[in-house]
Amino acid sequence: MAVCAAIIGKDNSPKYFTCLNPDEELGFQYKVLSSLDVIEEKLNSGNKSVSDTRELYLGMLYSLEKHKIYGYVSNTKIKFIIVIDSTNTSLRDNEIRSMFRKLHSIYADNVCNPFYIPDEPITSKSFDKSVKHIISGI
Amino acid sequence: MQPQSNTIFDQSDLPPELCAKPLSLVGISGLDTLNNAIHKSIWETFNSNRRIERSPVVFRLISNAHEFPIVKPKRNSYEWYIPKGILKKNWMNKHLNEIPAVIAVFYDLDWNDSQWNEKMIECASRVQSMRAALEGRNTKIVVVLIQDSVPLPTGEDVLATERAVALCASCELNAKSLFVLPHGDHLQGYVVRLENAFYDLAKNYYYLEAKNVKSHREHLNKTTHQYLFVRHQFKMGFLNELRQDNHTAHKHYTHAYNNLLEIRIVDTNAMEIRTVAGFINYKLCRLMFTLSLPRDAISQFRSHTDRFKTRIGFQELAFEHHAWIAKQYSVFGDIFDEAVKLGLPAVQTQHPGIYYQQAAQYAILRKESCQELCQSVLNYPTPDPLENFKQLEFYGQRPWRPGKLTAEPPDPHLESKGIEALQYLEKTQVNHSNIIISLFGFAISQYKTYRCLRMRRHLVVQMAEEYYNSGDYGKALTLFTHMLWDYRTECWWHLLTDILCKALQCAFLTANVQDYLTLSLELLGTSTTISMDRKKYIYENILRVLNKQIPELDENISSNSIQNAQLLWKQFYSVDSILISLDMTNMLSCVDTKARFMQNRYQGDHHVVVEIFVRSSCPFLLQFFKVFATINTPEYASEYDVINLKEGDPSLRFNYNEVKRYVVEFMPDPNDIEKEIQIGAINLCMGNKDKCCVDLKFTGFDNDSNQTSPDLTHFRRNIRPIYEFDNLSLSPSALIVPRSSKINVKIDHHQPALLGEWYEIDISIINDEKFLIENLQLEIVLNGESSSQTEFYLTDAGKPENLPLQLRLNNLVTSASICKKILMRAYNIGPRNLSVKITYLLKSEKPVLSIKEQNLDILVVKPFDTTTKFLSAKFGDIVKFYVDEPFILMPIISCLSPWPISIEDTTLECSPTVSLIDTNVKSQVKGLVLRNGDSGADIYYAKTVKPSETFITVGQYSIKWRRQNGKTTLSQINITGLTVDSIPLDLELPLPAFGLVRTPLLVSYKFYNKSQQLIQLDMNMEASEAFMFAGYKQLQISILPESSKSLQYNLYPLVAGSVMLPKLSLTLVSNSDEKPFLDQDEINNLLERALPTHLFIMPQGKRIPIPSERVIETQ
Repeated sequence: MAVCAAIIGKDNSPKYFTCLNPDEELGFQYKVLSSLDVIEEKLNSGNKSVSDTRELYLGMLYSLEKHKIYGYVSNTKIKFIIVIDSTNTSLRDNEIRSMFRKLHSIYADNVCNPFYIPDEPITSKSFDKSVKHIISGI
Repeated sequence: MQPQSNTIFDQSDLPPELCAKPLSLVGISGLDTLNNAIHKSIWETFNSNRRIERSPVVFRLISNAHEFPIVKPKRNSYEWYIPKGILKKNWMNKHLNEIPAVIAVFYDLDWNDSQWNEKMIECASRVQSMRAALEGRNTKIVVVLIQDSVPLPTGEDVLATERAVALCASCELNAKSLFVLPHGDHLQGYVVRLENAFYDLAKNYYYLEAKNVKSHREHLNKTTHQYLFVRHQFKMGFLNELRQDNHTAHKHYTHAYNNLLEIRIVDTNAMEIRTVAGFINYKLCRLMFTLSLPRDAISQFRSHTDRFKTRIGFQELAFEHHAWIAKQYSVFGDIFDEAVKLGLPAVQTQHPGIYYQQAAQYAILRKESCQELCQSVLNYPTPDPLENFKQLEFYGQRPWRPGKLTAEPPDPHLESKGIEALQYLEKTQVNHSNIIISLFGFAISQYKTYRCLRMRRHLVVQMAEEYYNSGDYGKALTLFTHMLWDYRTECWWHLLTDILCKALQCAFLTANVQDYLTLSLELLGTSTTISMDRKKYIYENILRVLNKQIPELDENISSNSIQNAQLLWKQFYSVDSILISLDMTNMLSCVDTKARFMQNRYQGDHHVVVEIFVRSSCPFLLQFFKVFATINTPEYASEYDVINLKEGDPSLRFNYNEVKRYVVEFMPDPNDIEKEIQIGAINLCMGNKDKCCVDLKFTGFDNDSNQTSPDLTHFRRNIRPIYEFDNLSLSPSALIVPRSSKINVKIDHHQPALLGEWYEIDISIINDEKFLIENLQLEIVLNGESSSQTEFYLTDAGKPENLPLQLRLNNLVTSASICKKILMRAYNIGPRNLSVKITYLLKSEKPVLSIKEQNLDILVVKPFDTTTKFLSAKFGDIVKFYVDEPFILMPIISCLSPWPISIEDTTLECSPTVSLIDTNVKSQVKGLVLRNGDSGADIYYAKTVKPSETFITVGQYSIKWRRQNGKTTLSQINITGLTVDSIPLDLELPLPAFGLVRTPLLVSYKFYNKSQQLIQLDMNMEASEAFMFAGYKQLQISILPESSKSLQYNLYPLVAGSVMLPKLSLTLVSNSDEKPFLDQDEINNLLERALPTHLFIMPQGKRIPIPSERVIETQ
């Protein structure tokens, strides 16, 4: 079960942000924003070989004392970030990967919604609900 | 009462003896460095300039009377021994600095010294006294003889060998412990060699010491001697480090650490175990970095911190635990950084900054727990429970119960006093904020190095928060405001709002009114995430500032700071009228402006119009009293107010999301003509002039960083109100151009121009302006490529003018006119484009530069075409010239010009290969006027001189012509002829103009041989119906070289009219032995060319009657 999830646009501005405990949102925002450094570095280094250009999952970005931050980048440079509690050992790489895939797919669905204006922050309630569903791991 | 020692003691600090790099200690005795220059230089060579390639040895001067630490009595059995602590405080220092591994006794003695025996005895006594001082230690003693002479190779100096043995015997040393140091040349080299020898001895000493410690192990048991296990392993590790055996040292330290973990931790020993664990961990990590095992070091550190993180010990002293963990992190950061500096590559996700950051987090926890726990402590307890601190025998023990065993229950009263003392010290002596800020500082510089700019910004914000907490609001404000920009560009509104709110408080507390207003205006904007109540509250505070009132603050800040802030505000308000200027660039305030010029270019005598749009996204009413624009020219800036605006004007009142348009109009300065002007700034003024006037300065370009990529804007619903503020296109600069002129320019010319002619262009300028015009200048520019083929003249004599043609003209009063004639000559056909530009200064009240420009297109065409015909002497067509055979040359001029052309004269200038036969010729077309389509022909009779394979140049044909009432132009045309052949044979048949019927006519055919060879021909005269003739019908003729022959015939014409002559044919006699130089075709052509074919025969006159009767008769 993740404690926080975020979707960040091409221009590094937040499109969607949620965390389990709304009081901690500010701290999480700082952390998630900081982890963009690592994403940027990973994307810029360009040492991805041709074979894994379709691999969108970036793995762990930061391992902090309390949290671990994972990243995933779509081909259109939309960044997905999930924060996990460090003490949570039940989530393995594969589960996180599938969580990201689900997030990506509902994000894509949301973008297809004609009432959504691309590049605007996502405010849809049903989207929020499905993200919460995904990160709570039920 | 204050504690006795005012020095800040921090149990978590690492002692210097632990952090020092262990080096073998070598004592140097017998050197009198103060009085003896030689000794001084030797000591300096040993002690200074210790570069990395020298042995890891440290030297210490030891005087003769030096006292070494006393040796403890040896223990034979550990059976009843219970250790009082883990690591003794003095042990490391003892081995680092006090007990040398090797002592070198220096003595001045040459082998051939005259007082050898006495000196030998003195040396031996020194060695003896040193040995006595080191009684019980295993320190090696060596003797170094300082000698003047250079030693001979070993074995050659018999005396030396002998005396060395004697010296060793008297000093009780083995031969290997005696060294000789010649102090002459190469001192450095000898010293390095000695040093290496000392180092080897030292290594051996430390090895034996470590072995000695190891030998105690068999006496120990696990129940009572757990501390000793740790201590011994630590000692072995340290001794191995002294001999630079890092691998073994690492092994022993690992054992020590593991042994330590086996000890049960209770409240009384928690502090000691934690301290020692920190020491051993430090040693381990540092060694692992040196041994290039950075991963192991990191994982060791991780497990270390994980293990001890939860072992807080006394709850009352939790801050101590946090201080310790913070120290662990920062020290690890230090050694990591040190390793990086020595070449270890670090990565973005694993670098020293991470550890500094963690250290800072724990330092914050330390501060928090200190604030929580130490609040109630107001006095330092008496008697001082910490007075024994300096005398503590072991690391990490409590001063109020030194050396107590874990089993003994602690005295609760003493215990609480001690805790109270520590709490008091933590509260009063420690500047937490400084610690936190410096740790953040380290972390920030590390994160910057590893390209984590966002993380760095986060740390800067945290640092600023700490400055805020420590009451340094000024620094906090500076840091906060510097960080705003980046969060703004990446649209993290939540974070931006957080920082803005904090910065706003700092601005309030430092009475930085400028920043206070700027931050307030940004907080009122749409992108912040604060509640409407907060916005209202901020809005009201802005109004208070405008009325010179101190804003209110709702946060709970210490009253002290607030009072201080209020004083500052009052001081600020003490001035009568306050003008505050705010730079609104690069921020997203609740007011935004856009400005643009209405046109791209303005004429010098027209008003420049600037359109200003102001949008307020403030949810409350905003009132301004003035709007003005600053316009920049290259030299200066000037301000223009919006016209017709009064203070309190409702058109300056803004409701939520309202956009208003204002117009600024002004006359441009005539000096700015041809220059670009720009909108420098748009200023809005708030407040009022008497109390507090706030001037908001905008760039006039939208500050909205919330720009989506243009392709996505199509998805946007247009919810923004009037004027489409967002989509307004900007034109921030305009050009001032000269005013358009009212003068009248007439250009008179007759199209098209003819090639090469003097083409007249009449320009007449009439001043229709209302004032005198001065500095009148006419400029003619030829546009396009053909400038080299076009010339301009002012008169038809003289040189062509340079382009662009510039003419200064006289001043013109109103309605006066001036006329100027320009001549143009074009040397190729095609269109010409001329710009006629007239610049002048209009002498109105304000002299204005004006320009009138007119374009002129002129087509250049050919006036006529010249073709040339070549004919034979008989007006027959020819395709070749023959040497010496005359031909006719006929140039034909066909007129193409739309204007009639009159030909004044034509001449033909022959080239040297062509000569005119009739030299005295006159032009046939002279005086002729040719209209379009007409043509005129000239005629010349000429011959060629020599043969040519190519077309020869006949000559240059010159035509002098002019347009009617124009100027004379000379056109010259080269005439190209035909190829020239030569033929050795020539024929001639002179004939009279006519013959008469039945009247004999004597003709003679002449043959000329122009060659050097004999020509033989068969001649045949065909019969003709029109003639009877007498002469050879058939004959072979031979013509000698360079001679001629003639054949005479008497022709008797039978009919009248143009009758055909009898045809003469010639055939070449083929001489098989000779190559014919003449061929039959040429002869046939010659016959055709040279001989007339017809003759006009007249009938007989009527005056002779008889023949007429005969005619009747015959009828």
